[in-house]
Amino acid sequence: MTAYVVRRIGLLVLSLAVASVVVFALLRLLPGDVATTIAGTQASPAQIAAIRADLGLDRSLPAQYLSWIGGVLRGDFGHSQLNGTTVSAELNRKLQVTLPLAAGAMVVALALAIPLGTWAATRRRTVAGGALNALSQLGIAIPSLWLALLLVWLFAVQLSWLPAQGFPVDGWDRRGAAIRSLVLPWLALGLTEGAVLLRFVRSAVLGVLDSDFLRTARATGLTRSQALLRHGFRNAAVPVVSILGLQSAALLVGAVVIEQVFTLPGVGSMLVTDIGNRDLVKVQGEMLILVGAVLMLGCTVDIAHRIIDPRIGSTV
Amino acid sequence: MTFLNSSRTHRVPVTLAALAVLFTAACGTGADTGAPAALQTTQAATPPDDQLDTDATVNVRLTLEPTSLDTFGTSGAALDQLLLDNVYQGLVSIDTDAGDKIVPALASSWEQSPDGLAYTFHLVPNAKFHDGSPLTAADAVWSLQQQIAPGSKSIKAAGFTSIADVSAPDPATVRIAVKQRDTLLLWNLTQRGGIVYRQGTDFAGLGGAENGSGPFTLAQWNRGSSITLARNDSYRGVKPKVAKVIFTYIKDANSANNAQVTGQTDIQVQADPTLLQPFTGNDKFTVLRGTTTDKFTLAFNGTRAPFTNPDVRHAIRQAIDRQGAIDAYGSGVAIGSNVPPQDPWYEDLTGIDSYNPDNARKLLATAGFANGLPLTLDVPNIYPTAITDLLVSDLKKVGITLTVRQVEFQTWLSKVYTNKDFQLSLVDHAEARDLDNYTKPGYYFGYDNAQVQQWYTQARTAASDADRDVLLKNVARQISQDAAADWLFLVQSTTVLRHGVYGVPQAETSNRYNLSALAVGKQR
Amino acid sequence: MRRAARRWRTLRTVASAVVRRPTGAFGVAVAAVLVLAAVVSVWWTPFDPQATDVRAAWLLPFQRGHLLGTDRVGHDQFSQLLAGSRETLFAATGSASIAAVLGIALGVTAVLSPRPVGAVVVQAIDLVIAFPGLLLAMVLAAVYGGSLATVVAAVGISAGVGVARVSRAEIARILSQDYVLAARAAGASTGRIVRKHLLPNIAPTLIVQLSLVMALAVLAEATLTYLGYGSSPSTPSWGGLLHTQQDYIRVRPLLVIWPGLAVALTVLGFNLLGDALRDATDPRLRSGVRS
Repeated sequence: MTAYVVRRIGLLVLSLAVASVVVFALLRLLPGDVATTIAGTQASPAQIAAIRADLGLDRSLPAQYLSWIGGVLRGDFGHSQLNGTTVSAELNRKLQVTLPLAAGAMVVALALAIPLGTWAATRRRTVAGGALNALSQLGIAIPSLWLALLLVWLFAVQLSWLPAQGFPVDGWDRRGAAIRSLVLPWLALGLTEGAVLLRFVRSAVLGVLDSDFLRTARATGLTRSQALLRHGFRNAAVPVVSILGLQSAALLVGAVVIEQVFTLPGVGSMLVTDIGNRDLVKVQGEMLILVGAVLMLGCTVDIAHRIIDPRIGSTV
Repeated sequence: MTFLNSSRTHRVPVTLAALAVLFTAACGTGADTGAPAALQTTQAATPPDDQLDTDATVNVRLTLEPTSLDTFGTSGAALDQLLLDNVYQGLVSIDTDAGDKIVPALASSWEQSPDGLAYTFHLVPNAKFHDGSPLTAADAVWSLQQQIAPGSKSIKAAGFTSIADVSAPDPATVRIAVKQRDTLLLWNLTQRGGIVYRQGTDFAGLGGAENGSGPFTLAQWNRGSSITLARNDSYRGVKPKVAKVIFTYIKDANSANNAQVTGQTDIQVQADPTLLQPFTGNDKFTVLRGTTTDKFTLAFNGTRAPFTNPDVRHAIRQAIDRQGAIDAYGSGVAIGSNVPPQDPWYEDLTGIDSYNPDNARKLLATAGFANGLPLTLDVPNIYPTAITDLLVSDLKKVGITLTVRQVEFQTWLSKVYTNKDFQLSLVDHAEARDLDNYTKPGYYFGYDNAQVQQWYTQARTAASDADRDVLLKNVARQISQDAAADWLFLVQSTTVLRHGVYGVPQAETSNRYNLSALAVGKQR
Repeated sequence: MRRAARRWRTLRTVASAVVRRPTGAFGVAVAAVLVLAAVVSVWWTPFDPQATDVRAAWLLPFQRGHLLGTDRVGHDQFSQLLAGSRETLFAATGSASIAAVLGIALGVTAVLSPRPVGAVVVQAIDLVIAFPGLLLAMVLAAVYGGSLATVVAAVGISAGVGVARVSRAEIARILSQDYVLAARAAGASTGRIVRKHLLPNIAPTLIVQLSLVMALAVLAEATLTYLGYGSSPSTPSWGGLLHTQQDYIRVRPLLVIWPGLAVALTVLGFNLLGDALRDATDPRLRSGVRS
């Protein structure tokens, strides 16, 4: 077990190192640099060259990489070359929109998927179960951004219950307004995500329903619901939890798309703006943290899996 | 498979350099949007002072947030819009609502020697920086010296190359000696390069620690959302009529409309002209239109075939229905050359290469493209697609198959502007008075006409403004006759304000936004 | 010869098994309509999809012969939808092709290479899966301009890595069969083994995955184009329509409905097709193990 954990963490470190190189290299493919963002179109080539020298952009790429990664190892993810804001401060600020968005959507998705998925599994041969199954297929097929537009049309344009777009300028200082502007994004993301999870929950519960231990439990005189409640859910939870790990990464990514539809000032718009400005030192810090978070999530899920169910064979 | 994790570029402007884009996210013509002519274009007169709420805070929606507040070394119209006239002042300024007339600022008056080689500026008394220190001629001299110093990092340094010497004969007088006459010097002094900084300012440290001399101070910058200016109570002149102005940066047009309708903002600058339904036929709001310096320019790569052939350039110009483009964009003015109507050397040149698809087809046939011509257009992804949709359709009618490549602004800068690797390019040239782009053969569209260059040089050193204007008119006409580019239209600025707000800037709102007349009526 | 005949028979069995299920029939119908629309639109659409006419802007459905009405510049929406199906079809087939080639290549490399190399490939696959395809698409779009090729490349690569991960075990199983080992021992080249032994055997699982990749590609094409990294704005596409019409949702909500509906139905079709194919090719199901 310990050996596995050590190996898995070693792999994580290796992956992070590779990710840092990939992020750095990929961004260097972009045409233009931050010096032209600063100087604009009227500056002379000499002025632009001077700015590049000031910012250290005239150094070789390996030198730039090493100085960046050296900072990262000391806990300094870098700062904007345009205005000096640090990556960690900026990311922290933007995550205050993106994390609540993703988390809220996950709550909506689970609130939808767990009861309905279980229900669909226990009623798999009925018309209602089939209809629910079809509905979840449709939910998976609908682009979340289109669902978002439909929700905007209904709740913002027709009924005027909720704002169509935007986030209060004062952010969470105006909590009511902030929550109101997140309701439609939560629904748009949560409903599509819920449709995906519903199918996982359904098949997990189906697997449990067909299992021997549940049959044994029922033989002791429990009704099916009682058996499911007492013994089934814990077993069904194992595959669902591991899917949740994967899906929360996907959800963060889906949140970025939905942010753009609702023009929420989150991580997505930050990345687009920074890439547009060629503020690459900032982008690579932000990307490394985000990719790192996904990798760490995967690592945690793997290890947790091992702890819950040691039968799983090693893949490392 | 983390695929659908993207973000939209269309709505997200690249915070640009000197080409300040008017960021109206979308555009269209309005069956439901109300005819532009029905909109009010004038605002109510400001009531007397005793009916004004001088403690008022005004919320103003802008689109582009500055990337930094370093006015010396960082380009971007967003900085000019925010800081010029309000926080920083130069010796002179312009009145954008009066046809860009040059008006006093830190200098109450000035004169030019008869030979045109010396300017004398007389400073206003009691001028002070925000930190309380007095503003003297020495500060003005120091500031200009930073512009003309060899290797200056000022992005506006190119505007002051004619200056031979700057001096301060006494603390209230600034003297500028020029090597030769420079009819554009005064104008350049009204722009960012003319800002008077406190002597010894560390420009690298600018960005929050602004120490200007204007009627407002920079109170707070909430990065990513808003910037607050507060009344400078120790201002030497007429003090602002409002206590605070909060500039809120909202890129998306529908979000901005929402903020305006719900009262979160009092003034919406750069409103989308195709999305004005919430404000028309409504007595709570006034919609103002004003001129701009934003010229949507379709540039040809003049150094490359087939654009070396004038027939092709003329054919493309004549194939474009500019009124259709204006209708699709929602508002705008046909200009016919690179000069907006507020410039003294403007004349109506829309008759040159006017819409004539039949003739365009003939010209293309003469040029050897009777069987069609495939072309590629590079366009930054920040402009509404309605314009390119129209170009594709119009050019198709004369046999040109246009492929539109939408690129990031930085990619455009690198590929088109710097490397000149393009056929057609569409960009909003937002700088004021940028005719000189047509006098530089090395500029990205590579237009090279010795006569035009000579006229422009003569205009710059002309003996009088009248002489200058004649020569610049020649330039404007010649570049249009040569089809150096096609100027689709001049953007009109659209401002929405709620009733009870007065003295709102109307013209050229993306270049500077002078708040000195802004006022709010008392609530009754 | 006999083997070809047997394969043909299997194919027919699978096809009829797919079509017999209502969901499978629906999936096949959607795919057929998509192909038909894409092909027909090359030669014929009711109006030129790119023609603008500001005097015919904002028409309602059926006005002046515009089946679905027109938008702000007078684009006929039905013609745009028809022409947009070309982008969708190309995105789906292009991405699936890249994903198949890349997935098999990576899977075979991981299985056949000597252990350290194979292990590296396996880890690289896991790493790339954690890496957002978004950044790839954004960078590609920034360097080369947004285009369908950007979408196909980004989706194809991301999905290909996914295919490799899912198929690795299956590839390993097939390649360790006695007759394959014998063929290798007899000196058959890797290419020959892949062609003769791997592809025919992995086809059932691969084709299921590819139909799901197609669904993903349709969704990704619409989303990326909506975000501005996809098809050029001068080319009609469903994602582009969603993007353009979003601003006018207050004026003409119907204009947002059509392209979204087209995307949703197509994705649903490919997903159901994939499910039906899985059911039809799964021998466990074919012999009726699951009631």
